Amino acid sequence: VFAHLEMLEARAREADMKEEEAKQQEEKLARLKARVQQLTRQRDELQAKVDLQQKGQLGKEGVTSDPAQPSTQAVLEWKIKRVKDMLQVFCLTGISGKLTEQGVCFCISTAYDGTYLDSYYLDLLTKPEVRILRHSIPTFIPLEQLAKKYLQTDIRRFLSVLSNHLNAYAARRYQADQLQEHFSDQIEGTLQTNSLCNLLVFNYYVSNKSKTFPFNVRLLYGDLCSSIPTEVTVSCT
Amino acid sequence: MDKSICQVYEDKIQSLEEEIKLLTEKYEDYQQESTFFSDEEILMSKKSFQREFWRRSQGCEYLSDLIAQLESLEMDLSFIMKFTGIQFTSHFKKTMEKTRNRTVQKHKLSGNCHSLSFQVEFQLLEIRNEENVSVVVSDLSVFMEPGGDSSVSKFVSCIEEHGNLLQFFRSLSSYAEWYEHRRCTFLHFK
Repeated sequence: VFAHLEMLEARAREADMKEEEAKQQEEKLARLKARVQQLTRQRDELQAKVDLQQKGQLGKEGVTSDPAQPSTQAVLEWKIKRVKDMLQVFCLTGISGKLTEQGVCFCISTAYDGTYLDSYYLDLLTKPEVRILRHSIPTFIPLEQLAKKYLQTDIRRFLSVLSNHLNAYAARRYQADQLQEHFSDQIEGTLQTNSLCNLLVFNYYVSNKSKTFPFNVRLLYGDLCSSIPTEVTVSCT
Repeated sequence: MDKSICQVYEDKIQSLEEEIKLLTEKYEDYQQESTFFSDEEILMSKKSFQREFWRRSQGCEYLSDLIAQLESLEMDLSFIMKFTGIQFTSHFKKTMEKTRNRTVQKHKLSGNCHSLSFQVEFQLLEIRNEENVSVVVSDLSVFMEPGGDSSVSKFVSCIEEHGNLLQFFRSLSSYAEWYEHRRCTFLHFK
């Protein structure tokens, strides 16, 4: 009898738990549904505002008041965005930077034709003398050498030469990647290249009716500031 | 069965939040790009804020932070213009298309580098995916003054053909510097 009572109690507890769970699920669903409705309303309001903009009617908060006296906040926020945009444009020119407490942090951008590639950072201290604090320049770029030669005497020249090295490297790497991507069916396996991407070796096939001719190509880029090879060796294997 | 309904709602919430984010950006971009305040208006705003500030002492932290932020950014800009020699005199930007992964903008920039003036117009395509952002320039047109030199026009057409905006500015810097040296030297001997 006792065991039977225990079993009934257990069943009752289980039933309670299940009821509790079901109630929680319902509440959760109701919350989610309300959130969806709220967000949908918000989205629709925003969409209406954007549509009005497109139709050429400027109106903040739906009130078409003559913007005679825009708030100081609006003016300042507008100007801040403008200056930030201008600083962004400098990234497109190749050298941009901002002043830091101890000096300047430069950003060197690289590109190949119209495609922008990686950017590299150089954090410089300017007092008591110019020194490199931090940088994201890859190790195979001769940064130390260049710094020794130019950093103290002509920072502009230093950055310009460094930019040449970085741009050439980025261009070589980009060209190798593009070659691999667009001609993968003609190239056997993958391109072999060193980290500086100034030595490229690969095998490819040329087919003619029934015969395929395997070739091996070796490209050497002797000038580190150039993305055009100085030595090309093609052999039929 | 209940769980899958929950999931549907949660997915819908996420997609709505993304839409709202995108629409907000679109709205703000349009407001930014279609407004213009001259330097005098900005100066007047700063001055009127400073006058008010002395009258009441609370609730202005945000505005004085804004002013400080603006001054710091303007110092950065003035430094980089002086350092590179590239002075932009006007910048016109218009967002043509904006979706979750793609933004297309048209830019028109005028400026000068030492004694040479230039104007560039281009389209900028930005594609965002999980790992990175790719930025590509197209429809580039370049105008340089003085442009009489045939080597300059050859240079300009090569740049335009390849959309090589970066190369244009890098070459502009060194060309303008040497142009200036030549001009001064010539004047000296005149």
